[in-house]
Amino acid sequence: MSPAPAPAARERIVKVADWAADRADAVIVTLGLGSCVAIMLYDPAARAGAMAHVLLPSKSLAHDAQNPAKFPETAVPLLIERLGALGADRRRLVAKLAGGASMFAALMTPGTLQMGERNIVAARNALRVASIPIQREAVGGDQGRSVRFHLADGRVEIRAVGRDVEVI
Amino acid sequence: MEDVRDLKELQIDALREVANIGAGHAATALSQMTNRRIMISVPRINIARLEEVPDLLGNPQDVVAAVLMHMLGDLTGRTLLLFPERVGRRLCDMLLRRAPGSTGAFDAIEQSALKEAGNILSGAYMNALSDFMGMLLLPSVPSLVVDLSAAVLTTTYLNFGHDRDFVFCVETEFHIDSEEGLRGHFLLLPDLASLRAIFDAIRVT
Repeated sequence: MSPAPAPAARERIVKVADWAADRADAVIVTLGLGSCVAIMLYDPAARAGAMAHVLLPSKSLAHDAQNPAKFPETAVPLLIERLGALGADRRRLVAKLAGGASMFAALMTPGTLQMGERNIVAARNALRVASIPIQREAVGGDQGRSVRFHLADGRVEIRAVGRDVEVI
Repeated sequence: MEDVRDLKELQIDALREVANIGAGHAATALSQMTNRRIMISVPRINIARLEEVPDLLGNPQDVVAAVLMHMLGDLTGRTLLLFPERVGRRLCDMLLRRAPGSTGAFDAIEQSALKEAGNILSGAYMNALSDFMGMLLLPSVPSLVVDLSAAVLTTTYLNFGHDRDFVFCVETEFHIDSEEGLRGHFLLLPDLASLRAIFDAIRVT
């Protein structure tokens, strides 16, 4: 008799400008990151992690700044707080980033910054302000990404159309 | 008008009519390129929060071939031509006069064919609008990506649009007459200021 398969991990889907925080038995998933960036925080000891799918580099770019998961500057503090509630210690937190692609780059006005690049810079800044080290990144390029963040060990699987899975 | 949510019923009807004229010409062009009958839907005006953009058209996880172009001249904005990946391949078969099902990867020649299709469709659409409204509209060079629908749509608005809260598009679905049910979407994405110019040109207030 073959051994019973391991129970499938719980999947939490994070939509655009959305977030989730959870523990070891969960996988946080976000699909179709273009110029958006997924900010992922992880406490390896508590095996708790959180993800935000940020859309814009600054609150000043939107009239409606109610949703904290939409911007890095508000998403990072939100994730830290929610991880604290799950028993994580903020001094142990490490970060990973994915996304921020530059699609349709041929149509950009020369000399202007892509929204993807601006989102990456804003995410790094927000993490520096919070004193959270960035462990790994899969950012930039010209392709969209889908991300699976495994909270059992903190590994992040990244898929892009026509490419092999990248693990960071 | 400060916000797309302020659009009145009459203005939405007028936009639909404008889109119908543009899409009709684009469909004729596509029909000549593919030698097939093309049917177009009644245009729809979609208004959504930026966060909801991935769900605007079809499944956000589907891989699509998308041709984005700037619209320049008296109106500014963009046009986006979207096909499911499978339809993109079939379209390449037709445009490159290949046997059905023989297009594999989107290499240079396939990319070039799809960009050219985008060029011709958008050109026909913009020409019809130019004639109807007495304006000069110019298309930019086309840019093609083959990627997840969600990433394509959000990037289109984020990178090139100016509205960060509510966004809109004037969408027409077209069907290529075949047994496989080939369909795609054509999106007109005028900047908010250009919407006003459209209404002025066709005397709708």
